[in-house]
Amino acid sequence: MSNQALIDAEWALAHLDDANAVFIEVDEDTDAYAGNHIRNAIALNWKTDLQDPVRRDFVNKEQFEALLSAKGVANDDTVVLYGGNNNWFAAYAYWYFKLYGHGDVRLLDGGRKKWELDGRELVSEVPSRAETKYVAKDQDLSIRAFREDVLRAIGTQNLVDVRSPDEYAGRLLAPAHLPQEAARIGGHIPTAANIPWSKAANEDGSFKSLAELKAIYEGAGVDLGKDTIAYCRIGERSAHSWFVLHELLGVKNVSNYDGSWTEYGSLVGVPVAVGDEPGTA
Amino acid sequence: MSSCGAVVGGVSLDLVDVSTQSVIQGVVSKAGAPAKVGYVRLLDTSDEFVAEVPVSPQGEFRFFAAPGKWNVVALIPGGSARTTVEAHLGKIADLEISVS
Repeated sequence: MSNQALIDAEWALAHLDDANAVFIEVDEDTDAYAGNHIRNAIALNWKTDLQDPVRRDFVNKEQFEALLSAKGVANDDTVVLYGGNNNWFAAYAYWYFKLYGHGDVRLLDGGRKKWELDGRELVSEVPSRAETKYVAKDQDLSIRAFREDVLRAIGTQNLVDVRSPDEYAGRLLAPAHLPQEAARIGGHIPTAANIPWSKAANEDGSFKSLAELKAIYEGAGVDLGKDTIAYCRIGERSAHSWFVLHELLGVKNVSNYDGSWTEYGSLVGVPVAVGDEPGTA
Repeated sequence: MSSCGAVVGGVSLDLVDVSTQSVIQGVVSKAGAPAKVGYVRLLDTSDEFVAEVPVSPQGEFRFFAAPGKWNVVALIPGGSARTTVEAHLGKIADLEISVS
């Protein structure tokens, strides 16, 4: 697939030692990076590094600047993200870097999983990078949706629920590798189409071809001429779908609702649909 | 807010009330030894992806599914294998998946 945002292993191998390329592994499970990682890669934890420690929100601009400065990331560096879980959290970090206006961000196709399955080198040495003075931009809110945006979009714009069909229908409350919690209601935002993130990925975690990706959305009846909001449970799987739509297919006006079902499914008084059909506004 | 992240080998059962869960778990092996690197995918009966976990260093994996039939696919460097399983509420379905 030819796209500047998406790089393959050959590109990565040719640039691993570039002074202005920063490879960053992003996992919820920091043990993965601690065990081994791609040579010269540093790590970011999607939660402890990128989430506010008290409120449910991202770290602010100043906190993001301090984080990247301490990690040795400069504004003109090429940031190459990869991670486990079919790049869920790496795609989330990609979207997050774009949110704060980083110029050159790439995603390694297939992430850690494809790298491992292809038997490529992983090392345990942790690189040291000199501290920088990173300057972030204000959040680009054109790619971030909030609950008010979602409520306005019901029945008028595209809502794309990228969770599994069982989560969409309300039969499961969480992905099936996690215990099923019962604190929230199940279901989906009315009129949302269910296009699971996984339809965009091959078995090894790499993205399908552009023609296949386009067919997935067109086949589901999504009019990409309208604004589109993607959501999942906490916003990382939908960042994967945002990457497909916005970065690979070049669709404008696509945003990620990072509050996602953990927020929407806990709101008082909002409409909810259950079952396999989108429901009505 | 808990994460959607997949824990290596699957989430521990230590703090889980299994009576409320339909657990599918097992071990992936190759040539009689546990697979140290690999991934296990849980698919529904139409092969729609549902979940995936990396195996533990002992080749272990675990899912918390809904009751019913499921397809399970193991991927390791150089090979894959698939099997089917039926999950029941309050029970643990144990699998041994051998990749040739």
